[in-house]
Amino acid sequence: MKYSIQDIMVGFFKTTVLLIILEIFSSAILPSLGFTDFKPAFNVLIVLFLAFKLDDPVLPFLILAFQYIHSAFSIEGWATGAFAGIIISVSVRYVKDLLNFSTAIGTIIVVQIFQLAWFFLVAMILSIKLTDFSNFLPTFWQYIPESIFLSLISHHFFMLMDRFWKVKKLNAGAGY
Amino acid sequence: MRNLNFDSSRWKLLNNVIVGLVSVVGITFHNYKVTDISIFQKMMIETMAPIQRGSTSLKEKVNYTFEHYINIINTSKENETLRKTIDKLNNNIFVLKEVKKENERLKKLMDFGREIPRKKVLAQVVSWDSSNEFKVLRINKGEAHGLKLMSPVITMTGLVGYVYRLSDNYADILTVLDQNNRVDGIVSSTRTHGIVEGHSGFTCQLKYVSRTETLEIGDEVVTAGLGEIYPKGIMIGRITKIDKENYGITQKIEVTPSVDFHRLEEVVILLEDTSSQELSVGRQTETGEQI
Repeated sequence: MKYSIQDIMVGFFKTTVLLIILEIFSSAILPSLGFTDFKPAFNVLIVLFLAFKLDDPVLPFLILAFQYIHSAFSIEGWATGAFAGIIISVSVRYVKDLLNFSTAIGTIIVVQIFQLAWFFLVAMILSIKLTDFSNFLPTFWQYIPESIFLSLISHHFFMLMDRFWKVKKLNAGAGY
Repeated sequence: MRNLNFDSSRWKLLNNVIVGLVSVVGITFHNYKVTDISIFQKMMIETMAPIQRGSTSLKEKVNYTFEHYINIINTSKENETLRKTIDKLNNNIFVLKEVKKENERLKKLMDFGREIPRKKVLAQVVSWDSSNEFKVLRINKGEAHGLKLMSPVITMTGLVGYVYRLSDNYADILTVLDQNNRVDGIVSSTRTHGIVEGHSGFTCQLKYVSRTETLEIGDEVVTAGLGEIYPKGIMIGRITKIDKENYGITQKIEVTPSVDFHRLEEVVILLEDTSSQELSVGRQTETGEQI
């Protein structure tokens, strides 16, 4: 185990505060500025960061916890995102050597690819649950600009998260 | 004993399996029609919703600052006192104008709801759902104000949706724009029945209408009142697109809601109690007066 309980608690606390601020930004500030149709899913970015860079057995529970916090701001609930997060984190283990986060462009491309994977997982679950696939494509087109926005900020966002989770200090080499 | 001595990768696998299974159970039991919330979620909503509400009003204050103060940075000292007085008066006028506009909106809402024999609770929109896939509004009234799950929500221009989840002082409204919300609708000119369902962006679809039905663009769609949620005759929207494909037994009809969701500020929640037609407002203006 590379992380002490204290490191995890501190990282968890800081990330929770950040997630809450970003959820408020998406749900209240952006709509009040007229962006009622543009709400970037910052929870996805946080879960992707954890999946990419946090090599620890508690990772699934952290994903679950952040999705649970997200569920207070969205009727999406915690389960779909947690399931998608677990699938993504398991997949990441197999392609970890191919991932490169040392450059901004590398981070942007990797985050964009995994965001699309996330979307397909979540949208498929929702469509199966509602037995209605007609909204799949319109939702996808709506998701594209948001995901591009998140990918563009991902490099700097991950740098901030690296500090929260002391990734470079404790986990140097993994995913770099 | 040796089997219990798990290494890190086995713990990872075990934890993934546990959380994965819990998530699958969660997905299976998650209800997109209506839901109860846990104590933690209730606590989170009660704590965070006032911040969301504050963030919404922040924009107005920032606008006000830019409009009224940026231009007077370089004014002379002689004019300072006078300008302060003018600013103060302008501020009062601004507040009064906002209160006047608010009162006009509330009066219209009250007049609109008179013919509906239900108790009404007025609420302000606090925020939207943080996921774009779900068209859900959060309002500043909850269980403490008498709201119940699945209570219909309207404005003077038409149907907004119904109460999806509740905390003590806040509620989430599943709007007609959401794909999980299905409203039994009727085209008022032809009395054709169909199901109105959220589609994409800010439009809905009128589903299960036979190809033989002759509908026209601009036709009004209202609630049929057949379900147990919405009263009959509430305006949902107008038909804006009809697509009769060469195959299938139904036609594809796009309905644009009559409610302008981009500018939605106040809503009315209809409650089951028919004995009272009181409009519960319970909200203070910026001047501190009870409306």
